[in-house]
Amino acid sequence: MDKIRNNAIVKKIGFNSLVLLVIMILLYILFAILVPIVNAKANTTFVSWSRIVSALNYAYFLGFLSLGVTFVIATGGIDFSIGPVMFCAALISGYQLTMKGWPLVVCLLLSVLVGAMFGVFNGLLVSFGGLPSFITSMASMMIAKGVGSVWTKTQSVSWPQSAAENGAYRNLVRINVGGVDIPTGLIILLVGAIICSIILNKTKIGRYILCIGSNREAVRLSGVNTKKWETLAYIICGLMAGIAAIFYVGAYTTVQPGLGDTFNNDAIAGCVMGGTSMAGGVASIGGTLIGVLIISLLQEGILAMGKNINYQYIITGLIVLVVVYTDLRSRRRRS
Amino acid sequence: MGDVILTMKGIDKSFPGVHALDHVDLEVRKGEVHALMGENGAGKSTLMKVLTGIYSKDAGTITFEGREVEFTNPREAQDAGIVIVHQELNMLGHLTVAQNIFIGREFMKGRLIDDKKMNEEARKLFDQLGIDIDPTETMSRLTVGKQQMCEIAKAISHEAKVIIFDEPSAALTEAEIDELFKIIRDLRDRQLGIVYISHRMDEIKVITDRVTVMRDGGYVGTLITKDCTKEDIINMMVGRVIYEDPKTESQVAEDAPVVLKVEHLNAGRMVQDVSFELRKGEILGFSGLMGAGRTETMRALFGADPKQSGDIYVNGEKVDIKTPQDAVKHGIGYLSEDRKRFGIVVDKTVAENSTMASLENYMKGIFIDKKKENEAAQKYVDLLKTKTPGVDQLVVNLSGGNQQKVVIAKWLVRNCDILIFDEPTRGIDVGAKSEIYHLMNELVAEGKSIIMVSSEMTEILRMSDRIIIMCEGRKTGELGIEEATQERIMHAATLRN
Repeated sequence: MDKIRNNAIVKKIGFNSLVLLVIMILLYILFAILVPIVNAKANTTFVSWSRIVSALNYAYFLGFLSLGVTFVIATGGIDFSIGPVMFCAALISGYQLTMKGWPLVVCLLLSVLVGAMFGVFNGLLVSFGGLPSFITSMASMMIAKGVGSVWTKTQSVSWPQSAAENGAYRNLVRINVGGVDIPTGLIILLVGAIICSIILNKTKIGRYILCIGSNREAVRLSGVNTKKWETLAYIICGLMAGIAAIFYVGAYTTVQPGLGDTFNNDAIAGCVMGGTSMAGGVASIGGTLIGVLIISLLQEGILAMGKNINYQYIITGLIVLVVVYTDLRSRRRRS
Repeated sequence: MGDVILTMKGIDKSFPGVHALDHVDLEVRKGEVHALMGENGAGKSTLMKVLTGIYSKDAGTITFEGREVEFTNPREAQDAGIVIVHQELNMLGHLTVAQNIFIGREFMKGRLIDDKKMNEEARKLFDQLGIDIDPTETMSRLTVGKQQMCEIAKAISHEAKVIIFDEPSAALTEAEIDELFKIIRDLRDRQLGIVYISHRMDEIKVITDRVTVMRDGGYVGTLITKDCTKEDIINMMVGRVIYEDPKTESQVAEDAPVVLKVEHLNAGRMVQDVSFELRKGEILGFSGLMGAGRTETMRALFGADPKQSGDIYVNGEKVDIKTPQDAVKHGIGYLSEDRKRFGIVVDKTVAENSTMASLENYMKGIFIDKKKENEAAQKYVDLLKTKTPGVDQLVVNLSGGNQQKVVIAKWLVRNCDILIFDEPTRGIDVGAKSEIYHLMNELVAEGKSIIMVSSEMTEILRMSDRIIIMCEGRKTGELGIEEATQERIMHAATLRN
């Protein structure tokens, strides 16, 4: 075991990420076997391109949410507003696009901007205002739901279909070149993850965010403006929720007001499953990405078995408990 | 004084690497106030923790009311009649006075708590003690002095026979202390045995009947208070032989410029009108007993805590330090007394900790220049002889002394000219200690200036060129190393103005 752990390639990728990757593959095989047995009537198979596309549709926007919240959790905080913020961004920009006739590009940027604004709001309140992140993000979750609903006058917003005018944004998720579907969303998500990984591990922002998560006072007493860097973590998180909104509508087109909170749980679960510690200081972008893929796979598998989606919540909840407990145990053993 | 109520004989207690108590004796009689004195770390608190069952003893006997006892927790001691009134009060601020006094043994009426009965009982208790407090008042609304009265009342309600006061007067005003003494005398007249731990020499003379002095975990002796002088007690407290040769004369050049000047610094109760100067190439020692306000002074100076007033000059120029950022910008580095909480980020690497205060110098565009960072960290690992397998080692895996060197490296990487070392050798072994002394001497030889806060008398006398002594938030003395003696320092450290 130690031999595998110390292998240079394994070290580079991270042992935990590799374990997760294996779990993901096993899960896929499990569903491939179980789905035809459990859901025999439907005469369906899990091993098909359409199933993968469907799972990926869920993974794209969830991935961006989860990558963003990784930065906040790394500081030792939490953001429960990301799901509704994503919906709020999609509602406002979609409304401007479909009802007000704003140009597509402007609306896409608007979506990112709305997300970032919520990040600024949360970040300033938490770091400069000294409010607990839990309460702050709960409050902004409600505000995001309300603002989205008020903006669209409680109407749901349907973004244009691919063939329609202004439907080009859907190419961000999937592009059809000569009859072949290319999952551009996956490519963009991977690029996003790489950029996040670079920010977290190679830049000053990431260094300070992780150190603040480990020992805020020691960083402050080193003459570092901890409030500034902490705020930045929330801004990155909000911005990513704005990007997630584009991929949500890119996959599903329709957004309803007053919803979005279930995605918080999935995004945070993906992050925690990937090895980011809720206590802060430790974060893995690669882990988050695989965590998100596992959750998407879980959801797709359970739907394919003809089971209620609530089963996915139960399983995800249990997984999160196990992961957090293990993290706690290993921390205690260290100290 | 009446019969002996409590005897501790030959109490011995070791912790890994420390012989905390070395065959200590203590005898308390009914109707006496018995002072327990000693420097920081002399073992007073440890002895009381052994008595009340927080620590188990390695050897020795405790006899209480003629029977040998061994308590395994404070609750047992309390039930037997031995109660501590702590320096930091253990009160629940949002409950009422009566609820606090009877916590854990509330009067019940069926399944409900009988607040009315509790208030009545509390009132009876206060009347008995001559204390004027409303039992229905919320605890947090009382002054510290009043809260302490409640704590005493609580002790009495437990039918205490021996009450231990752990620095009870530290947070009290003059009037409150008078009231406290009145109560203590009353308790004494009721034939209770009282142990009184305090650093305040004048109080000892006023309130106590006998004094037991401890030093470095050992028993020095017991005196009748009225037959001895303040000097006698101080001599017993500090009368150790200093093995490492103390500095005999200042190493600072006659014409060395003042690099840091602090004038009339005020920050809360613990920093009152503190002024001093630090000269180039000087090690300025800050001595004093626990709670003298030395760390608070340094934190206020460094911008870690807010200050109310005071001017700070760096190299003759007035500077405005509001946050640690400002201090670092002016070339001040602060090595905290609590390394784990304020010094290092334990689950980050040696390299990451080393560049914490100066990361902007180790950037290549927007990226951290890992190579340059590692080189800088390695340079100081070599220079400070930090024992670590490499600069990518997590700091948590290093020993205390080596962790301390990483914190020092952080400020050297930053190239700070003024270094504040707050208890630089606390909790590190002897070998690493002398390495750090050596390093400090090298640093000042290079022209850096150091403020060293230390509770160890030997360290102060060995390292300092000049010594400032504080007591209860005020500067109470300043001595050149030529004129400094343990006795003179201790005298100033127990001086209340």
